[in-house]
Amino acid sequence: MSGELLWVLNLFVFIGIYTLLAVSLNLINGYAGMFHLGHHGFWAMGAYGAAWLTIVGQGHVPGPLLFVASLIFAMLVAAVGGLAIGIPCLRLRGDYLAIATLGFGEIVRIAISNSPIDWLGGSLGIRIPRILMEVRRDTVVSFRWLMLGIVTLLCVITIWKLRNFIRSAPGRRLLGVAQDETAAGLLGINPTNSKVVAFVLGAAIAGLAGGVFAHYQGNINPLNFNFMEMVKMFLIIVIGGMGSLSGCVVGAILVVATEQLLNRGSGFISEWWQVEFPLILALMIIFRPQGIFGRRELTDVWRQFRAKRAQAKGQQA
Amino acid sequence: MSEALFATNGLTKRYGGLVACRSVCLTLHQGELIGLIGPNGAGKTTCFNLITGADDPTEGSIQFCGEDVTTARDYEMARKGVARTFQNIRLWKDMTVLDNVRTVCAVDESYGYVAAVMRTPRYRRIESKITEKARHLLARIGLADAESEMATDLPYGDQRKLEIARALALDPKLLLLDEPAAGMNPAEKVDLMNTVHDIRDEFDLTVLLIEHDMKFVMGICERIYVLDHGEEIAHGTPEEIQSNPRVIEAYLGSDL
Repeated sequence: MSGELLWVLNLFVFIGIYTLLAVSLNLINGYAGMFHLGHHGFWAMGAYGAAWLTIVGQGHVPGPLLFVASLIFAMLVAAVGGLAIGIPCLRLRGDYLAIATLGFGEIVRIAISNSPIDWLGGSLGIRIPRILMEVRRDTVVSFRWLMLGIVTLLCVITIWKLRNFIRSAPGRRLLGVAQDETAAGLLGINPTNSKVVAFVLGAAIAGLAGGVFAHYQGNINPLNFNFMEMVKMFLIIVIGGMGSLSGCVVGAILVVATEQLLNRGSGFISEWWQVEFPLILALMIIFRPQGIFGRRELTDVWRQFRAKRAQAKGQQA
Repeated sequence: MSEALFATNGLTKRYGGLVACRSVCLTLHQGELIGLIGPNGAGKTTCFNLITGADDPTEGSIQFCGEDVTTARDYEMARKGVARTFQNIRLWKDMTVLDNVRTVCAVDESYGYVAAVMRTPRYRRIESKITEKARHLLARIGLADAESEMATDLPYGDQRKLEIARALALDPKLLLLDEPAAGMNPAEKVDLMNTVHDIRDEFDLTVLLIEHDMKFVMGICERIYVLDHGEEIAHGTPEEIQSNPRVIEAYLGSDL
């Protein structure tokens, strides 16, 4: 019974982590309209940043404080990565930007793979000390509950704040640049500013997801951040809808649950998931490129539904 | 005569061997309504691109409000007060009518990213100012009822009006209209002429417009510059232009 519970808790923690990754990828790809394929690089930078700070700070700083500090540090490390890749890539568009950012993501992974073993663990990976609580057989359930709470809280705050950002003046400028950069420039919007901010903000949130992932897993290695992860994140935002935050949540639930269910099973369907996911991605792009939600949010759908019902009632009366 | 609001001096643009625009000297005074005409390929749009900073001239200089702005970037020019509309409508398609205007709206003060994310009182105050200003502009241009529609759902004529409202949101001193009457029927054109005339007075604007419809240009402009093959071939009042032999030649061809 406890096995089932553990599996479900694990599933939801991962849904949370991938939701964070998807909303941040959506900020760059969906809202800012940049074809960016290096998000796994930001994720890795965040994870390794948090791991490094935790190892260095262990024993000197109280656990919960170090936990929070390591998450902030993870965001900073990834944001610097976003700045480093964002500025030189600003002149690139479409496919060229995709290639450059993809290169960045792979460079991060390969660089970590080849790092000195006593620093970032090289290809063997690195162990993150448990600073929140001991994780043993009898405490693992409570640890997962704790992490689920933390990741849920982070998701709620992130989505809420991102929504605020998108519906503000800087957010509108970002959408303006994404939809017509020439017009935006001629109407007083500095496209460079908007794009760099989107990149840095998106990278920071991916870094946060990385930090949570590192603490949850307890050990990470470069293979956790391979390109297949990027495909998964992209699949989530394509399914959910480019430019929809609630779409990201729905997409994350569908994709991560499918993956974890397949992981449990055996046989052809389970073993071929690395083929099936890209295939679903291709089919989505051909048949419903705007995703399930398109640019709408769950709240919009609910509002429409209520408006329709009110209208129907009016007709009856 | 008072000092010019805007002047170009020997403006030249070469694309490789092609001279799109040669030694063009435009002078606009505060409050004027000026036309820029010429046959297809005469260099009118190139001129607009140079004026708005979308492109830098090969030679020559541009003065605006007594300042040299030859190398200013497009968004810098826009913030200094040069706004434009587009020949092929370039509204933001996935935005509502109101948001198209709000995105451009400049109010005296602004707020940063932190205020945006945290929704501080400052954010609320400035945001409501922006919305108020955008609504005012939409009402002025006659689109108040359409504010929550998507920009692309508007009829063609209204999309052109929305482009003007969006340009006005910048609080421009100089408004450039690139073929504002293109694709409109005669009644809409008359309506637009009145609108352009009225907003010029109401918003204290100087207007420079490119237009192919001669009735429109002759009916509204106080002075007209004529370009052909990148060069200025005539300049004067509508009456002078209509009887200028070089203009007639450029448009209709000369007797052989």
